Amino acid sequence: MAVLANQQMVLVVVLIALVAFFWSRNHLFISSSEIGNLLTDFSGLALLSVGQMYVIVSGGIDLSVGSTVGVSGILGAFVMQDMLNAHYPQVEVLLVGTVICAAVGAAVGAINALMITKARLAPFVATLVMLSAGAGLSLVFTGGAPVGLDSTAIIFSASGVGPFSYPAIIIIVMVVILGFYLHASRYGRYTFAIGSNSFAARAAGINVQRHLASIYVLSGTLAGLTGMFFYLRLGSGAPTSGQDMELTAIAAVVIGGTSLFGGSGRMSGTVLGAFVLTVVTDGLIFINIQPTWNQVVVGAFIFFAAALQALRLSSGGLARLLRSGPITEEVSGGR
Amino acid sequence: MADDPVTHDPTTDNPVTHDRVPALEVREINKYYGGVHALADVSFRAYAGEIVGLVGDNGAGKSTLIKVISGAHEPDAGEIYVDGVRHRWRSPQDAIEAGIETLYQDSGLAPDLTIGSNIFLGREKMRRGLLGRLGFVDQRAMEREALDDLKRVGISVPLSKRTVAELSGGQRQAVAIGRAISWARKVILLDEPTNNIGARQAIEVLDVMRSARAQGLAVIFISHTLPHVLDVTDRIVVMRLGRVVRDAPTTDFTAENLLSTITGLDELRPPSTSPA
Repeated sequence: MAVLANQQMVLVVVLIALVAFFWSRNHLFISSSEIGNLLTDFSGLALLSVGQMYVIVSGGIDLSVGSTVGVSGILGAFVMQDMLNAHYPQVEVLLVGTVICAAVGAAVGAINALMITKARLAPFVATLVMLSAGAGLSLVFTGGAPVGLDSTAIIFSASGVGPFSYPAIIIIVMVVILGFYLHASRYGRYTFAIGSNSFAARAAGINVQRHLASIYVLSGTLAGLTGMFFYLRLGSGAPTSGQDMELTAIAAVVIGGTSLFGGSGRMSGTVLGAFVLTVVTDGLIFINIQPTWNQVVVGAFIFFAAALQALRLSSGGLARLLRSGPITEEVSGGR
Repeated sequence: MADDPVTHDPTTDNPVTHDRVPALEVREINKYYGGVHALADVSFRAYAGEIVGLVGDNGAGKSTLIKVISGAHEPDAGEIYVDGVRHRWRSPQDAIEAGIETLYQDSGLAPDLTIGSNIFLGREKMRRGLLGRLGFVDQRAMEREALDDLKRVGISVPLSKRTVAELSGGQRQAVAIGRAISWARKVILLDEPTNNIGARQAIEVLDVMRSARAQGLAVIFISHTLPHVLDVTDRIVVMRLGRVVRDAPTTDFTAENLLSTITGLDELRPPSTSPA
């Protein structure tokens, strides 16, 4: 546990160093408007990372979330456009849109779940299918052009309290709840148990397949809600929304110290990871470095996180070796 | 199980004759893996307050039988009775609910979870009130009670807040056995519980099994370590190539004739029926 916390300490130090670096290049990096931008950009990644965290802790992976963001935002936008044209009240339109996006996401998640638990495809393969299918469908539905132009959505997304936009507030509250839920609920406990040893989980009476299915539906739903988030930001459903974001979300989880083998990790690490990646992405743009460099930097971060994890694993192994001391303390007598 | 009479004679340390319903009975279990007949008409009984040894060479079908009894595998034919009631498992959960706990050879613990979480896995204690209804667990109570549960069955481990991965092999085994015994209501299946641990710990595991027997459980003990089997069991069921070839009181066996029954050498020469 102490070493786990260390990885988060490293992340905090990296975060401070990054902020200091970007600030030294341009002092406006620490300004209320840029902090607001950061928080909103972070929100776009946070729900995907949280969903990915549940999936990865369970021992799986969800590559489909980026495409799901696009598909759900587009289908939501079609419905919302029709409602706006029919002069429904704005609030109603946005609420219905949110439900549609979540439902589309849940449906994609359910297809993933069926492929994984019924057809017994590996999560990597099943969700790769949906990554590809979703990206294709986005283009089929839209012909490549964004759907709708909803200025109220943009205004809603840009207003808020202090540096927090309304969508950011909603998402941050959700992230906190989902984080506590992972670590303190029975559902979360089962997620860790399955990722740690699915045979043991099944032997303990946990319905492993049903639990896994629900995790992919959760991840899909969160991706759908992220689709709604991008609709609010852009005022339209764009096929490019969410593109490649599955990789950024996975990166956030890995940088946060979660093992890709499942069974371990802290949500606080994932949140920190998502925040660090947001700061890197936004900071590079802020100091006018070609955005093409962004992915190289993200790659470097993943490398260092993985190296740190390898180090942690080997030191954990060492600690275990040292601790297997005298046998007497291990089982003490039966009466 | 509290109202079951103890069938284990405390003075002679031998089981008294049973004319009552066995805690566990399997009848004519058959299991095929592809073309392999892994279990062929396997029948045996285990009574409350009795330790039954299940022995056989590698591939004799012991682990398969355990998996069938614990609900991990479905038999192709055959019947399972608990306290005289026929059951059909659709999942391990069904067997657990009927009072059967299993310790699997390839450890049934989740290494990344704490000892307390492992002990309570699948049976979490929930928080009181709204949080409990929302699905939140009472971790502190579980960590506390886990230690008590382990102590009750005669196992003490340092700290229940440690993850199982941080424990030594012997400690893990102790936790796994403690988990199974503390939850078992009728039958406990132990698949090689003394494997991969030190000699002294093994003796302590045998003591834990005796205390489980004293609590009125039917203990089924699978092992390759024949001295342990001869030491602790009341009855021994010998399997060979998927069949039960001998089922007799432990007093009928010596180290030599048990080994020859396991290997099949007893069929080449007549078995020695009188124990030493």
